[in-house]
Amino acid sequence: MDGFLNFQVIADNFTYFMIGRFPEGPLGGVGLTLYLALVSCVLSLFGGMILGLLALSKNRLIYYPVTILINAVRGVPLLMVIFWMYFLLPALFGTVAETNTVIMALTVFTSAYMSQIVKAGIEGIPRGQTEAAISTGLKPWQAMLYIVLPQGMRNMIPSFVNQFVSLIKDTSLAFIVGVSELTHVATQINNRTMAFPTEIFIFIAVIYFILCYAFTSFSRWLEEQLAWRKAI
Amino acid sequence: MKKLATVVMTVVLAGFMAKTSLASDTLADVKKKGVLVAGVKDSLPPFGYVDEKSRQIVGYDIDFVNAIAKKLGVKVELKPVTSASRMPQLQESHIDIIAATMTKNADRAKVIDFSNTYFFTGQKFITKKGTVKSLKDLEGKKIGTAKGSTSEQNVKKSIPTASVLSFDDYPQAFLALQQGKVAAVTTDEAILAGILAKAPNKGQFEIPAVQISDEPYGLGMRKGDKNFVEFVNKAVLEMEKSGEARKIFEKWFGPNTQFHLSRTFKIAAGK
Amino acid sequence: MLTYQFDWSIVTSGKYFEWLVSGLMVTLQISTVGIVFSFLIGLLIAVMRMSHIRPVRWFAHAYLEFFRNTPLLVQIFFWYFGSYKIFPTVINDWLNSTNFEFAAAVIALTIYTSAFIAEDIRSGVLSIPKEQLEAARSAGFSYLRSMQYIILPQAVRITIPPLVNQFLNLAKNSSLAMTIGVMELTYQARQVESYTFKGFEAFTAATLVYLVLSVVITALIHQYNIRVLNPHRA
Repeated sequence: MDGFLNFQVIADNFTYFMIGRFPEGPLGGVGLTLYLALVSCVLSLFGGMILGLLALSKNRLIYYPVTILINAVRGVPLLMVIFWMYFLLPALFGTVAETNTVIMALTVFTSAYMSQIVKAGIEGIPRGQTEAAISTGLKPWQAMLYIVLPQGMRNMIPSFVNQFVSLIKDTSLAFIVGVSELTHVATQINNRTMAFPTEIFIFIAVIYFILCYAFTSFSRWLEEQLAWRKAI
Repeated sequence: MKKLATVVMTVVLAGFMAKTSLASDTLADVKKKGVLVAGVKDSLPPFGYVDEKSRQIVGYDIDFVNAIAKKLGVKVELKPVTSASRMPQLQESHIDIIAATMTKNADRAKVIDFSNTYFFTGQKFITKKGTVKSLKDLEGKKIGTAKGSTSEQNVKKSIPTASVLSFDDYPQAFLALQQGKVAAVTTDEAILAGILAKAPNKGQFEIPAVQISDEPYGLGMRKGDKNFVEFVNKAVLEMEKSGEARKIFEKWFGPNTQFHLSRTFKIAAGK
Repeated sequence: MLTYQFDWSIVTSGKYFEWLVSGLMVTLQISTVGIVFSFLIGLLIAVMRMSHIRPVRWFAHAYLEFFRNTPLLVQIFFWYFGSYKIFPTVINDWLNSTNFEFAAAVIALTIYTSAFIAEDIRSGVLSIPKEQLEAARSAGFSYLRSMQYIILPQAVRITIPPLVNQFLNLAKNSSLAMTIGVMELTYQARQVESYTFKGFEAFTAATLVYLVLSVVITALIHQYNIRVLNPHRA
């Protein structure tokens, strides 16, 4: 090794870094990373919303199991959640593709964190709103759905975008179960060429940074926009 | 709360039972699906690796899978696996067959079924030139290998004083050797030869004549999957007879390759 | 046919139990060493981030953004495999003679976590009323001294709960060190699985250990919040 950085290896494999074996084979690389993050994000938005609302329930039979579940998931490493999905999903549903195993693991993991955002967002809306809504004749669930949740959502949106950024980073763990996203593709190329680990890992770090930083900035911009509109 | 836990456990266990009590007949399933899903290595030349130009997985193991699929009249889907992930993947039906440099041994044969040996090699070491003459030279050193491999378990037995570092796959272990992080990388000679041939600075490394075990490779299938095992065994025997198996060996290891290995084994029934 | 036979004895005693215990020890070691260093570096970066000197502020800002927006796994790979070309041979030889797997994991985790801690400390500082700094300055303290004696001690007190939380994150994140061969808890659980094919038992044991760890630490934060931060509300 001559000690100089040689980024030729990136140029040679650029297409593979970006889309993997696509279109002859399955999608990989950056394409798969974004796919995993997007799908898991949409799913955990719903998951987080449901868990968050259930965790606000006054019924103890709902509140306790849901809160325990949320905290249990938050208490273990994502890697453990992935291994668990790897075991449980096939046992429950038969064959599950690895990509879907990873999406499920990311969804369960992120839903638990999103539920906290939803909970905090709803708790941030003054109680008077609910009371006022109910006194106008709405049922409690209608008050939640039509009055409280829409207002809470506005406060939650920047945090949701931040969770999406975490998701992009978390997809790198899919490497461990052999899903060909960006990190896996990078180790493949690293294993084949064997002489450019520094170049390869700097390159994918920069790619991840660009993706994540773009969304972090977007979330900050949103936060300012939403705060401004509220002030009027 | 207790009730809920019971319900959850019952569902999970029922799932386990349902999965395990299903009499699997992969042969029929694969024919019905029209696809044979094979777990292969994706960065281990020449057994299985991604070809830079075509961006597809190719190699010795893949050619065997293709030949079997051809006899079945189905398409092939390749899934990258690691030494640690291949058995769970098979048992959980993510894949139908393992063709991933897998050594046949008694422990594994309790959990899955193996085909006839389709490749034969022995476990050796790759080291910096001139540093290792015998096993003694490796005592107390760091030795790299891959997680969940037989190589890992063998080396712990033959050199108990060494500290064994397990990576996700062999090329990573070799990278650690190149950077001086381990004194040797151990696994099957054919894999070592493959790594060495692809190494950018191969002049600095060698494979000393120190062997610690025999490594017969088999294709892995689910336990008790009789029809499929029989079919695969027949298929590889036919490949031996027709000379196709030898041709595949020559293609990846023969004199026209960087390895110059000669074929010292034959695929035979019951082995 | 094959039915899954549960065998809990493998994870409650004997060789495999010892593997898991030694894995837990390594996890705790990484987390403890990691939290100490990431606190120190996080503190430094937080102070730099609030500095009046532009290049210093920019450096701290770039550090924060870069390391928070890159996956930890990639950072671990970078420090273990990629740092080789950046350091001179002497340093590489020395690193390799040590337990470099452990060191690389600690370096990656420390840098990653320090970026989050720096932000925690900064928001702690921002929560201290501005007048305090002005009062300290008018009493003759320099900027650094007023930070050191007046602002930071209060900020750190507020920052302790998020800091303990970061310790928990570190412990969980250290599971990624298994990818470079550090024999921590998750590595050992997987090792037990590949030797015994009893994944269910091995992962249950490891999961329980992580859960106990997080329950204990969360309870400690809760107590601290009640006793120290809001004593009159208790």
